[in-house]
Amino acid sequence: MSTALRPVPESAGEEGYDWRRLHPVTPALRGWKALVAFVAIIGFQMSDVLRDVADTLGPGRAWLVILGVVLLVGVVGFVYSALAWRVMRFAVTDGAVHLRTGLLFRQQRQARLDRLQAVDVVQPLLARLLGLAQLNLEVAGGAGSAVQLAFLRESEATALRAQILALAAGVGPQAAVAVPSGPVTDGDAASPAAAQDHPGAVAAAPVYAAAPERQVYELPMPRLIRSILWSVPPWFVLVAVVVAVVVSIAAGDIGGMFVLIPAVLGAGGYVWGRINTGATFRAAASPDGIRLRHGLTETRTQTVPPGRVQAVRLSQGPLWRRNDWWKVEINVAGYGADAEAQKGSVLHPVATRAEAGVALWLVLPDLGVDDPACMLDAALTGLDGDGGFTPAPRSARWVDPLSRRRHGVLVTRTALVMRSGRWWRSVVVVPHERTQSIALEQGPLQRRLHLASFVTHSTPGPVSPRVDHLDQHVAAELLELQSRRARQARAVAGPELWMRAAAAPIGDAGQVAGAQPPQAVAPVPGEPRT
Amino acid sequence: MTTTPGTQGSASGADPFDLHDVPWTAVSPRLATARLLVLGVWAVVLLVPTVALAAALDVAWLWAVPAVLAAALLWGALLVHRQVRALRYAERDDDLLIRRGIMFRSLVVVPYGRMQFVDVSSGPLARRLGIATVQLHTAAPGTDATIPGLPPTEAARLRDRLASRGEARLAGL
Repeated sequence: MSTALRPVPESAGEEGYDWRRLHPVTPALRGWKALVAFVAIIGFQMSDVLRDVADTLGPGRAWLVILGVVLLVGVVGFVYSALAWRVMRFAVTDGAVHLRTGLLFRQQRQARLDRLQAVDVVQPLLARLLGLAQLNLEVAGGAGSAVQLAFLRESEATALRAQILALAAGVGPQAAVAVPSGPVTDGDAASPAAAQDHPGAVAAAPVYAAAPERQVYELPMPRLIRSILWSVPPWFVLVAVVVAVVVSIAAGDIGGMFVLIPAVLGAGGYVWGRINTGATFRAAASPDGIRLRHGLTETRTQTVPPGRVQAVRLSQGPLWRRNDWWKVEINVAGYGADAEAQKGSVLHPVATRAEAGVALWLVLPDLGVDDPACMLDAALTGLDGDGGFTPAPRSARWVDPLSRRRHGVLVTRTALVMRSGRWWRSVVVVPHERTQSIALEQGPLQRRLHLASFVTHSTPGPVSPRVDHLDQHVAAELLELQSRRARQARAVAGPELWMRAAAAPIGDAGQVAGAQPPQAVAPVPGEPRT
Repeated sequence: MTTTPGTQGSASGADPFDLHDVPWTAVSPRLATARLLVLGVWAVVLLVPTVALAAALDVAWLWAVPAVLAAALLWGALLVHRQVRALRYAERDDDLLIRRGIMFRSLVVVPYGRMQFVDVSSGPLARRLGIATVQLHTAAPGTDATIPGLPPTEAARLRDRLASRGEARLAGL
């Protein structure tokens, strides 16, 4: 088998790209993973077969055989990974990131930078110990469409991220130097990254300055722990444990206790997952968009460029009400809807109300109302017509007696705000230009009561925006107006290359650099909004 | 049955699903034939074994199973024509509207600029009957923009038109 890079049929121009390899430790990390997977699968799935083999061979020889097989698999996995590493290359050009992979089945993937939805630097525990990182470039192509560059040296990954973001924003290496000097100087806490920039040659290894960023909030660990305690799974397990203990004592049989093991394991996994992803959660604003950092063992640094957030949801369960905590989630087209992707869809795991406002402001600097704080209060906790919301009519009490008064919708100049849930409060904000398609739905009962539900469809993710049980004529009018509004908003929306816009987005960026809570942010003047 | 037939035709302002001055186009009535044929196949598949079983075992209450199934199928068959009549679409300057359903009604508005791709599909039965399905895909999986029961020429025209309009109004995500 030839391990040389034999190009698949392609245009000649691609040979001229600056093809680069991943870090040489990659195969070791990957081969190790394959070995663990193999041992786990064999150990769990085929333990009976193993026992039979052990019985026939005798204990001493069985161990030798097992050790040999594991070693063999390890070597094969490592060699395969090494060969795969040799053919795997990537190149960054002005318009796209190219990735060539595959030993037997060659694959060439090209991610267009103007379609870039998010850039993540992920460091699993082992890679982190070795100072390596994985760069994920998310494009909106559904599951498995991301370009994953694993593994790179940490510094290389961050430099590459800066380069890719600068290219995607539409600034070259020279301009990248110029940009930080503008907005950064007025922001007081400019990142030191601005100091290390010097214009490099475009072809060889240009130096791109990372956009300056400014931290806007941070999740304290005690609050995270308390928020987990104040959630349903631990209490559920506690109740289950108490019930099981009481029952088994009453019945004089402890066999029932074993039923609890999966429940306790499940709750433990849930708690660990929450802690692991929520720990050291920090968010920063930068001209390149929202930057999130989080993770305990596996750390993740996400950059979501401006305009890539499709919808935001602020939600609160009944147990969080006392502390006024909110979970803020976002839909980003690249992240998709599966469990792994959901890790990236959290904008704030446990926000106070003020932080929730800041999180919302990160996504949508201009909420399109004169008093954003007041509007936010009405959206989060208001009932009926508070804050100018259009509520569900009284007749909706027949279909939703409990949370009828919370159903409501508010159209601002820039976004659609939908409010729902009495005990599980939820507020969804969809910027007008991010609406994909909209719909009106009506069931037989709703029809009787002259009600209809208004739905807007968003990209895959945790947020699915809808308002139930509006008056049917209100809903129909909303549908009509919203389709028009979405169209107008799209027409004036910023370009895909977010730094290429004339003056307005730079002004936005300046505002970002001097991050303020939403109350202090005046609507951006001079930007054509409808 | 608790619903009244869809109020198509009677352009009354009272029905919120009848957006004013929207020229709705109905789909081909051959779609009803196709759906009835499918229902017929289901009837055979479901009723023959259950009836045979009830007859073979000679247990009185077992006859309830085919009876319930037959009633459900009959009801479905009665609804098919009205459902097909209720399925309508309209092309506006900037978006495509699709409305469907009698009891559970929905109206979807898909802006052309949001379209990612268009599917035209047609199974063996549909091909024989001369109908095709056009489906629009946006970046949102929730967008249910399917128009079944279009004559192939209309499907092709719609596809090309949607594609060209989508290109003209192309936006990112």
